[in-house]
Amino acid sequence: MATCTRRSLCHFLSVTLVRHNCNRNVQAKASTVKELYPPILPSSTAKSTSAKRRVVDEFFGQLRSCSVKEKIRMLTRVQRKKYVIYPQTFSLNADRWYQHYTKTAYISGLPEKYVGAEAGSALAVDESLVSEAKSVVCNYLLQEHWYLQKTSFVHKQQELSASPFLRNIVYDLRNLLAKENPVLSLSSLDYDPQINYYWLQGERTIPRGHRSGLIEPMRFQIDDRPHSQIRIPQQLPEFVLPEAEISGEVPVISLAPDLLPLFRRQYDNNIFIGTKLEDPCCYGHTQFHIVPDRFCRDNMNKRGLSNQVEVSLRANAIASLFAWTGAQAMYQGFWAEEDVSRPFVSQAVITDGQFFSFFCYQLNTLALSPRADGQNGRINLCWGTESMGLYERVTDGDVLGWNEALLRLLLQFLLNKPQ
Amino acid sequence: MAKRIIYPLYQLGNPQLRIFRPTFNMTLVRPGKEQPPDTVQFRISMAMTKCDVRNYLEKIYSVPVSAVRTRIQYCSNKKRNHLNQRVKRPDYKVAYVQLAQQQTFQFPDIFPEKDKKSKEGSVEEMHEKFMEDERQRQKPDPRRGGVTEWFGL
Repeated sequence: MATCTRRSLCHFLSVTLVRHNCNRNVQAKASTVKELYPPILPSSTAKSTSAKRRVVDEFFGQLRSCSVKEKIRMLTRVQRKKYVIYPQTFSLNADRWYQHYTKTAYISGLPEKYVGAEAGSALAVDESLVSEAKSVVCNYLLQEHWYLQKTSFVHKQQELSASPFLRNIVYDLRNLLAKENPVLSLSSLDYDPQINYYWLQGERTIPRGHRSGLIEPMRFQIDDRPHSQIRIPQQLPEFVLPEAEISGEVPVISLAPDLLPLFRRQYDNNIFIGTKLEDPCCYGHTQFHIVPDRFCRDNMNKRGLSNQVEVSLRANAIASLFAWTGAQAMYQGFWAEEDVSRPFVSQAVITDGQFFSFFCYQLNTLALSPRADGQNGRINLCWGTESMGLYERVTDGDVLGWNEALLRLLLQFLLNKPQ
Repeated sequence: MAKRIIYPLYQLGNPQLRIFRPTFNMTLVRPGKEQPPDTVQFRISMAMTKCDVRNYLEKIYSVPVSAVRTRIQYCSNKKRNHLNQRVKRPDYKVAYVQLAQQQTFQFPDIFPEKDKKSKEGSVEEMHEKFMEDERQRQKPDPRRGGVTEWFGL
């Protein structure tokens, strides 16, 4: 438009008025020779909003054509103070806040795949397999609680008994189910991996300092240490279509994150799924988390926080599954400006050795940054169960109150396979 | 160092029935920044710990407490007195108490906005009208554009 105007004015100066009146096609002529001048862009060095916007646009444009490694490096390069989200947190009612920061809707109950009619056919577990798995699990349970007379220090109970128990059953069940689910034989099982994810969400006004009054995005970092995780070379199928109507709602929290409380720290921004970029097993299957001693059922009851047991499990699942799944999507080259083209899916099992709870996560969007979040109607989904006891107690070399349905569900989780 | 608190020690032979009252006090304050509905803010004595706060609220007032967080607010040391010596404003400790059992707390509006109209024909109404007129009269003439009164004919 600007070029048109300028061109017509030039013409007007050089010709007489009468001739101009006769010559009516001057505008049309001007628009055809548009390429003569480059488009007018805001300055890239000036101190103005349009100049800053241009710099950011150019940076993001440049980023789109980069390799994945380069993308992750560029997006995490600049260190600023960021809110650190701990998946296993002491904060009360953290699940709603975490849902807001990760744009996740929580749906209680497992997806159709595990509870619907489909579960009977696709994920049917053989009776012989169940009994075999039961003997394996019972064996390790007795090993930890009966054959070995373990005495532990305070706050070391989980580390001493639940952790080796889970380690053994994960290892054995994976090997056991590999003949049913061939993808498990190609999978990679990590113990004590590091999961990191860094993202921008929401905006805040800087309260003081020389930049006070400016608006900056809030940065978040999750550093997670699951007990173990299974990674597979192909992607798990999505639980629901991303366009499907979901009843869940993302809670909106207008308060500052400091009131949860979350604290701001500055260190390396990391995005990591537990392995390097070149690893072929770059999709998540299942994570296993141990509830630390502090947040165990008994200790929470002792502190009078018995209503927070399920809440903290939910918060743990939402934070760690978002971090893991988001990092997987970043490894495939997606980021806030290039949103995911297919949903990413992971599962998690959180246990304290006796009580198990199951969670499924579907990542529909990575565009959480205030710049990308504008008209993005997609939300992430998390399904989860309440915690259920695997057994009641171990006495005289015998496991009492065995919960067969829970073991079956655990096997179904591990039998979930890519299409 | 804050003031040292000495509890009345029980000694053998003392009378058995005693009520120990804390020598602390806690001030409920309106939060400067908006807090979640279950969080209450207090200014407490420097010597009080989180456990003290919890016991204070639970044992004396039977308020269910689920979590207590504290911080110490530094106050300015910038003010000078008439001898140009620095005057330190005392620091204080702030406690954020999260209530249990889904209880919420809203700091009450102690000074509600007065929006009352005095009665028609009463003395107050006449007085108010008079004051309003006086105020109008005291205002400078807007047509003079801020030029002082004496600067003119």
